[in-house]
Amino acid sequence: MSRTVMIVDDSLFMRKIMRGILVEKGYIVVAEAASGIEAMRNLHTSHPDIIMLDIILPDSNGLDLLESVITACPDSKVIVCSSLGEDSVVRKALNLGACAYLQKPFTPEKISEVLESLGG
Amino acid sequence: MDMSPYRDLFVSEARSHLSAFSELIVRLEDSPDDPAAIDELFRHAHSMKGMAATMGFEQVVGIAHLMESQLSRVRSGEFRMQPAFADLLLESGDTLGRLVSVIEAGSGAAEDTTGLLERLASFDPSAEEEPVASATPPAEEADTPRETPAATPHEFRLADTFKSIRIKTETLDRLVNITGDLITNRYRLDEAIRLANAAAECHEPLHQLTALLRTLRDEVFKARMLPFSFVAERFPRLVRDLARRQEKEIRFHLEGKEIELDRGILEEITEPIVHILRNAVDHGLETADERIRAGKPAASTLSLTVNRDKDHVEIIIADDGRGMDPERLKQKAVDKGLITREQADRMTPQEAYQLICTPGFSTAETVTDISGRGVGMDAVRTAVTALAGVLTIHSQIGQGSRFVMRLPITVSIIHALMVRCGAFEIAFPLNVVVRTLELKPSEIFGEPGQRSISPEDHSAPLRSLRQSLNLPESVGGGDALQPVIVCDIGGAVVAFSVDHILGQQEIFVRPLRSPLSHLRGVGGATITGDGRVLFVADVSALA
Repeated sequence: MSRTVMIVDDSLFMRKIMRGILVEKGYIVVAEAASGIEAMRNLHTSHPDIIMLDIILPDSNGLDLLESVITACPDSKVIVCSSLGEDSVVRKALNLGACAYLQKPFTPEKISEVLESLGG
Repeated sequence: MDMSPYRDLFVSEARSHLSAFSELIVRLEDSPDDPAAIDELFRHAHSMKGMAATMGFEQVVGIAHLMESQLSRVRSGEFRMQPAFADLLLESGDTLGRLVSVIEAGSGAAEDTTGLLERLASFDPSAEEEPVASATPPAEEADTPRETPAATPHEFRLADTFKSIRIKTETLDRLVNITGDLITNRYRLDEAIRLANAAAECHEPLHQLTALLRTLRDEVFKARMLPFSFVAERFPRLVRDLARRQEKEIRFHLEGKEIELDRGILEEITEPIVHILRNAVDHGLETADERIRAGKPAASTLSLTVNRDKDHVEIIIADDGRGMDPERLKQKAVDKGLITREQADRMTPQEAYQLICTPGFSTAETVTDISGRGVGMDAVRTAVTALAGVLTIHSQIGQGSRFVMRLPITVSIIHALMVRCGAFEIAFPLNVVVRTLELKPSEIFGEPGQRSISPEDHSAPLRSLRQSLNLPESVGGGDALQPVIVCDIGGAVVAFSVDHILGQQEIFVRPLRSPLSHLRGVGGATITGDGRVLFVADVSALA
């Protein structure tokens, strides 16, 4: 069962809210990252089942990071998060191998829905 | 879901976005075509919007959303950054700042933002550019305000909240000193009341005073606390750069950076940490080739972990490198004449690792520009000891090394064990004292000069504090019990025989200035309840 999660978001606020929701839902947040570099570094040590990846980060292009994450950890399921809501970005992310798309602002229900869509 | 726990985080993060936002706008006025700055502005507006939407702060969402969409027009080259737009953005930022303050206060008059929203939505970049482009604008038109009266120009104003203020760190330092002196004077007052056999009425106010002083001390120290991240943010980059230069592949982990320490301690401990990290990269960790030959993964691991343990923090720097060979360290120390062969033979591995902290000791074959120059581990140990901390070193050949710095979370006011030796009263910082004993003569082993409290080996030598202080030995009292305090100095156990153990007390340690600071075995001074000056022992120097 996919239960361990890494949260990648440059906003501490967003990471804490996301963590709060995930923990409430019984997931284990094994790592948080505020940047692409941190995300790649934590990836090697924490091997999360699921990665919540914010598409806008200060140090990387989200789609490039998505590609690196998928190459480095092909077994992890990546959920792309962003409030961009642009179809083209969503399409590109899904084409690159993201499993799902979570549009900000998220509610606990929305997160549950997306996580359940991964087939738990 | 209850969002209230996240409100403070929202407020502080929103503030940092807003301050970065106005700085960027100002920067853009000088160089309006800086695409990176425009991207960054966009990102701040975008983050504000996302955060506010999550919290359900609709007014903030509305403004941030319009800022974001106008900025995306600038980003796509539709129009250039211009003063009227900068004003509008600054005004929006100010409005957001006020909204955030209302959110922080948890109440307050809701502001009408419809006028701003309209102007944001309908911003017309051509409205300004035309008069500028026109060769001879009519004089009266140039003076006419371009905006409707609702647009107040951006003005410098005080922080929109008085809930937090900035104060100079020296002020905090002075508060600590005054608090320390107050505590000292409380003990003096206590003593005076006791000696004067004063009326029982004195006890209740003294009791109150004690409680208040404790609260004051806690509050003053709390105000000086900063998270470890304050200094730690630069370490990953430092390690990365050092690793690059050494052509080593290193994974660096930083844990516990949210743990808070006294500002003064953070300041003093940063250089020692940098030194140990440099040493680890430079000497401790091997190159990828070397590691593969040793059957280890090519990439090495270096970690910096901070743990809180009641009144102490532990800063642990661990690597999975080549480790240290205690025999080689001992040999080096003997070769350099720092210790005798006999001393070397008696040393435990723990003590042998401590040799690297001896002044003038360096095992590195070559001195590189990365580390190993001048300031060595001796400076690290001195810094840790000066903070009333303890440095412990662990190592395994081929497995790596581990440096543990155990430090008090606050400065200056420490718990101490007071002992008497001849005419002297000396304070031993409680952080190094493991226990106190009263030994029968039959429980002391070994020959004079090489005495020990352990029958089997020399792992717990017993030193005479009188001898360490150059006092004449007291005449042996037959079967009298010998008071002994057992100290742990970075993993090495050393016992001291003293005349009397007087008890525990909270003391305010004052640093000594030259020439007293050159006294061996003395780490500071304090003033006792009856107003005498008393020295604080530097146990590692006495051992």
